[in-house]
Amino acid sequence: MSKNKKIVMGLGLAAVAFVIMMFSTMPSAGSKEITIADLSKNGSKYEGDYIMTQGLLNKESVQWDADKLELRFELYEEDQGTLQVFHKGIKPDNFSEDVIVLVEGFIQKDGVFEAEKVQTKCPTKYEGEDMENYDAEMHKEMYKNDKPE
Amino acid sequence: MYLIGNISIYLGIVISLYGIIANIVGIKKKSSKWLESARGAVLSLAFVASIASFLLLYLLGTSQFQYKYVASYTNESLPMAYKLTAFWAGNAGSLLLWAFLLALYGAMVVFSKEKKNPMMPYVSSILMVNILFFFTVMALNANPFEMTDKIPADGKGLNPMLQNPGMILHPVTLYMGYVGLAVPFAFGIAALILKRMDSEWIKLTRRWTLLAWLFLTLGNVIGGWWAYLELGWGGYWAWDPVENASFLPWLTVSAFLHSVMIQERKNMLKTWNVSLIILSYILTLFGTFLVRSGILTSVHAFGDSNLGTYFLVFMAFMMLFSLYVVMTRYGLIKKDSSPIEAYFSKESSFLLNNLILVAAAFAVFWGTMYPLISETFTGTKVNVGAPYFNKVMAPILLVLIVLMGICPLIAWQKAVFEKFMKNMLWPLAMGVATAIILFAFGVKGIYAIIGLSATSFMFGTHLQEFVRGINARRKATKENILKAAFKLTVKNQRRYGGYIVHIGIAIIAVGVISSHTYSTEVLKTVDVGNSIKTGDYSLKFNELTEHTKNGNGIVVADIDVTYKGKDIGKIKPEKIFYETWPEPSTEVSIKTNWSQDLYVVLSSWENKDKVTFMVKVNPFVSWIWIGGIIMVIGTAFALIGGRPTTFRYQINKGISKVGG
Repeated sequence: MSKNKKIVMGLGLAAVAFVIMMFSTMPSAGSKEITIADLSKNGSKYEGDYIMTQGLLNKESVQWDADKLELRFELYEEDQGTLQVFHKGIKPDNFSEDVIVLVEGFIQKDGVFEAEKVQTKCPTKYEGEDMENYDAEMHKEMYKNDKPE
Repeated sequence: MYLIGNISIYLGIVISLYGIIANIVGIKKKSSKWLESARGAVLSLAFVASIASFLLLYLLGTSQFQYKYVASYTNESLPMAYKLTAFWAGNAGSLLLWAFLLALYGAMVVFSKEKKNPMMPYVSSILMVNILFFFTVMALNANPFEMTDKIPADGKGLNPMLQNPGMILHPVTLYMGYVGLAVPFAFGIAALILKRMDSEWIKLTRRWTLLAWLFLTLGNVIGGWWAYLELGWGGYWAWDPVENASFLPWLTVSAFLHSVMIQERKNMLKTWNVSLIILSYILTLFGTFLVRSGILTSVHAFGDSNLGTYFLVFMAFMMLFSLYVVMTRYGLIKKDSSPIEAYFSKESSFLLNNLILVAAAFAVFWGTMYPLISETFTGTKVNVGAPYFNKVMAPILLVLIVLMGICPLIAWQKAVFEKFMKNMLWPLAMGVATAIILFAFGVKGIYAIIGLSATSFMFGTHLQEFVRGINARRKATKENILKAAFKLTVKNQRRYGGYIVHIGIAIIAVGVISSHTYSTEVLKTVDVGNSIKTGDYSLKFNELTEHTKNGNGIVVADIDVTYKGKDIGKIKPEKIFYETWPEPSTEVSIKTNWSQDLYVVLSSWENKDKVTFMVKVNPFVSWIWIGGIIMVIGTAFALIGGRPTTFRYQINKGISKVGG
């Protein structure tokens, strides 16, 4: 066997080792994306899985304890179900009615979702919305409400 | 204006089509007239793309809201710098910028001193196919000169996150990197089509590749810096799909820059090199596809549009075309490749470095695409987060750093083990000393200590290379240290430029490892007059005030900071409420010293007297920016100097028959 072939074989083995390492890391590092509907019906099925889910925020349900830094709220999917969420950490910006909230964490025995990460999804993202959909009044209203007293 | 803008886009399509045809006719008929005309087409393309670009800048600068693009990304009160940089805030403008840069690069290539090279008609055709694609997409899908039905009184304004100096630099530098890769790709393919299996194309494109790599590096570093300042989570890299998209070609081009050295010197790895440059180019298209299609969840999601489909089709076309060219020439490439002479040689160590860089690229690619793969096969979308990337990439990058430490010590062809060990002595001692010092100071985290020691070893190797070179020169010439150092590096710019880049990477590695392992974070709600203590810092919250600036409401917290009991001034984190944007924007406040950043975010408030802050102490983050600058300096050093192509193949003879 020529040296070239041996080297290629050696590198090939290294590549195989690398692929094995990659795959063995995969399951522990991923989060499963499950819908609110599925979680509210079959929550216990997913106990112990690291889950990502998203839903609309019920503003009435938000309880924020600034001293303990504890946030409780309810997410819902229209006519599909609701999910109670608990989060130890900061309340995100723009935590207002019907904003889409993305949470990652574990579902507990009592059905409460303990979120390690809470993010609000900005409806406008980076891309500009069409001018027709732009509601200046709404934005101004939000601007007023969001200022400190 | 409307007419000029649109005409320039359609002219772009017509001229590039003409240029491609003129090249084909010129090649077929061996007619210098046609080839000359095709060259003119490339120049004309640069001209129309410039007109379109300057026109868009003018429209943005003068707030012509009758244009949809201007109304969507700017408003009256936006500062001029951001009105102009809104050029690349949306899809249409980005495509125009891309076409503009491609056309400029194209003109530079076809009017270079290699213009009579027989590869040139092929190169310019491939570049024009790219330009044609961008103009076509603009015409069909994302026209920057589209009008609104009703002229709005004011525009929508620019996303606050984009109102940052990063916006001026990050997208442009990345694009310059992306676009730059089209040039070596075009040369590689042209060489294959012409069955020129020597390394000429690599020599001709060395500077182009380095330039593209320099801009990719710069773009990524600036992106990290921007994220650190603007996103308010205290990090600089999140393994977001869009970040990964720009990291992928950086990895493959890094591999390419190393493996071409073997082909230049040893006439080896020909298939590998041409495949790497094709892969790198395809990855730039892939990155754009990811960004523009919105198929993956990302903070960068640029909105859903069918722009992604265009990129997918174009990418598939270019991939099949390249594959066809490589396959049909495969036998020829193989024919005169030289074998490796010894296992223990620079050649094989470069091979290993290539394998690791490509493996890193594959790991990133796999993690990025995994949600789509898992959804296709199992129905469940499994998101791969930062933990996967950190777990997989940490050992890969560690091996790379060690390899960077070893490689300069290994000789070409056949290295002698004893000599190699002798060379290793001092750097190894530096690595070990680092570990001992870290342990002695009670630093915890075994992986971080291993990483930092490896980095120190790598730095030691490079330092030793400099010292040895200078000493050898001084012995021979009796020059003083400074003169010897200057002459040594200037006479070997490629080599020492590369070493400077490696030193930059070592400095970045210190920043990444330390900030990743030793960052601390405190989240606390405090009343006026109360303090937050973290590490050696104490922060006393004085008051929360608000004022308006440019029509935007700004809420500012006033905090006194002491470090080890000494007063070091104030820190003032802010939240800005933009009148035309639904979300407030977080402006972090940072105090930097050589070893750490104090990073404060104003999170939320109950009322004026009770406020929640996030306070982070991030060690050595500024080293990442400094390392980035050093990398760019090293690359520039290798780029402007370096030996000119020493031997040219007898190409000009060939062209004299064709081009005259």
